[in-house]
Amino acid sequence: MSQAASVAPPSSRALRLGMALSFLLMLIALGVFTLSLRAVHPVGDAGQVVEVTATGCEPNHLEVPAGRRTFTVINRSNRAIEWEIIDGVMVLAERENIAPGLRQPLTATLKAGDYVMTCGLLSNPRGTLHVLAGDSSAPPAALPATAFVGALAEYRVYTTLQLRKLRASAVELRDAIGAGDLDAARRAYREARRADLHLAMPIGLYSDIDQRLNAHADDFERREADPAFVGFHRLAYGLFERQDTAGLAPVAAQLLADVDTLTERLKHASIPPAQLADGTSRVLEAWLDHHRGESAIAGPDLADLVALTEGADKIVSLLAPLLERQSPATLQTLEANLSTLQRDLPAADASAPDGVAAGGLLQAASALADSLAGINQTLTLKG
Amino acid sequence: MKRTRQWIATGAFALLPLAPITALLAAPAAQAAVAPEALVGPVADYKLYVLDNLEQLVSHTRDFTAAIEAGDVEKAQALYAPTRVYYERIEPIAELFADLDASIDAREDDYEKGVEDPDFTGFHRLEYALFHDHSTDGMEKYAQGLMDDVNDLDSRVQGLTFPPETVVGGAAALMEEVAATKVSGEEDRYSRTDLWDFQGNVDGAREIFELFKPLAAQEDPDFVERVQANFDDVEETLADYRLDADDPSAGFESYDEVSDADRRALTGPVTVLAEDLSTLRGLLGLN
Repeated sequence: MSQAASVAPPSSRALRLGMALSFLLMLIALGVFTLSLRAVHPVGDAGQVVEVTATGCEPNHLEVPAGRRTFTVINRSNRAIEWEIIDGVMVLAERENIAPGLRQPLTATLKAGDYVMTCGLLSNPRGTLHVLAGDSSAPPAALPATAFVGALAEYRVYTTLQLRKLRASAVELRDAIGAGDLDAARRAYREARRADLHLAMPIGLYSDIDQRLNAHADDFERREADPAFVGFHRLAYGLFERQDTAGLAPVAAQLLADVDTLTERLKHASIPPAQLADGTSRVLEAWLDHHRGESAIAGPDLADLVALTEGADKIVSLLAPLLERQSPATLQTLEANLSTLQRDLPAADASAPDGVAAGGLLQAASALADSLAGINQTLTLKG
Repeated sequence: MKRTRQWIATGAFALLPLAPITALLAAPAAQAAVAPEALVGPVADYKLYVLDNLEQLVSHTRDFTAAIEAGDVEKAQALYAPTRVYYERIEPIAELFADLDASIDAREDDYEKGVEDPDFTGFHRLEYALFHDHSTDGMEKYAQGLMDDVNDLDSRVQGLTFPPETVVGGAAALMEEVAATKVSGEEDRYSRTDLWDFQGNVDGAREIFELFKPLAAQEDPDFVERVQANFDDVEETLADYRLDADDPSAGFESYDEVSDADRRALTGPVTVLAEDLSTLRGLLGLN
């Protein structure tokens, strides 16, 4: 009996004590676990919490101040979801494949305005996100070093595509002149010249090529008769003044060779960000220098200004997002000056535009050149 | 989607024991950070790549939708996968346009009423008609809608300044897409042409990687070597399923033919690629 007692299970008192101890340990463990969870998900950093259910977002309307904001998306539905912030039709920020039950943070920099949120199924109603304007008296933060990458890359795409057009038209021009086809040569000339002027800013970075492509007769001692006078103005003189393709074949061949040299150089060039605005202002000024004091602008001269303005339009559209952030007032002036000039000009595809009174046109072009010249200061870029 | 997470977790754990060793071996001699101007060329080249693919997408979609409008089921079936490839390659950019991405590429699971949902349109609606119903009946409006959407996408992308973060981040996004919807075989569930899309996503990711590779190599040569090797592994496995090794346009076998072992073999490198490529933005100073 006593032997049996010695191997008997511990007394019920000891058992109770043991249970109490293990219960205590479990509580401590749970406490530590809870604390660790808090450390991983600090409540304050969750930002706005959005729960996505099978039927939509809860809440379905959010309001946050402008700036860098964090959202925590919790999937309360039974299928994987994505959550997006959409500006118009453009996705601004998104989290994909959020598994059921999981939460995912998303951080986005938001400007004041109204956005929509996708809430799981595409057939679910969309939520709305209202972003309030921040403190407008605070000076804008300096642009980060990477701010220009997008604009410069897009400009590089633009120059590449314009160079392709320029080359294709230069080939057509050479062939039409070779065949003595005046009409075809004029058409090809207009196309080539338009691309040439879209590229006026980057071409201006190379004075030798710029001179061979774009010099005026006035720049040469013997003017039109000078053998060094080549390029677009020489071709225009032949095709539109003398109305004859005779003698233009070597000029057209030289033009094509120069376009190839230009392509090769631009392939390896990087255009400094300050050139976007400054260089564009400069080419407009150069056009103005040749036309100040005239009473009407017509024919190829007018087509030239149309093409230069198209090139300036591209630049303004590239700089707009940066200016909007740094100085909305500057952007407004710039865009107003651009649209004034565009309103005064005939459509680009008008093949023989009638003359336009010079006064208003010169003034508008000059105003656009001036506002472009001031932009680098606003963007704190030094030439 | 849950599976994605598990794969990524598995991949991360598999790498874990290597991490300290790699850190010791790499001990990077603090390289100068990538100059922002150095990113301009690759971002521009990427847009040119996207524009080329869009041109192809437009012309292939024209043929594909014409076949549907002509009621030629067989021809439309044959053109389905080769047309989608161009969309799959450029998905990081195409996805930026939420409305078009939904109308062009949404799957029936995205809608409450599934296949019956009147808003379910685009490639996968047509896939259902061609490969499930074997019919083009009533599909003219979807074909026309797809053509209009693709043209719209083309003109929007032409005018878009590509956000550099989206371009660089696109490589990882594509591989995550592969992990989430391609390996599982849910993307093209009726046509079983998943491997075409798979290859399209890999092509698109690899293009981005190749464009930024010289810059990434300056920062972390080991990273570049590892990513390259994983891309090669994935492409090698894919190549086993090509119908004609010498002619990429011949395409792939049905996804049903892909063995479980190969599905598993694809999962590893795909997951590690998604993980690795997700560090590319930080590596290039774009976070």
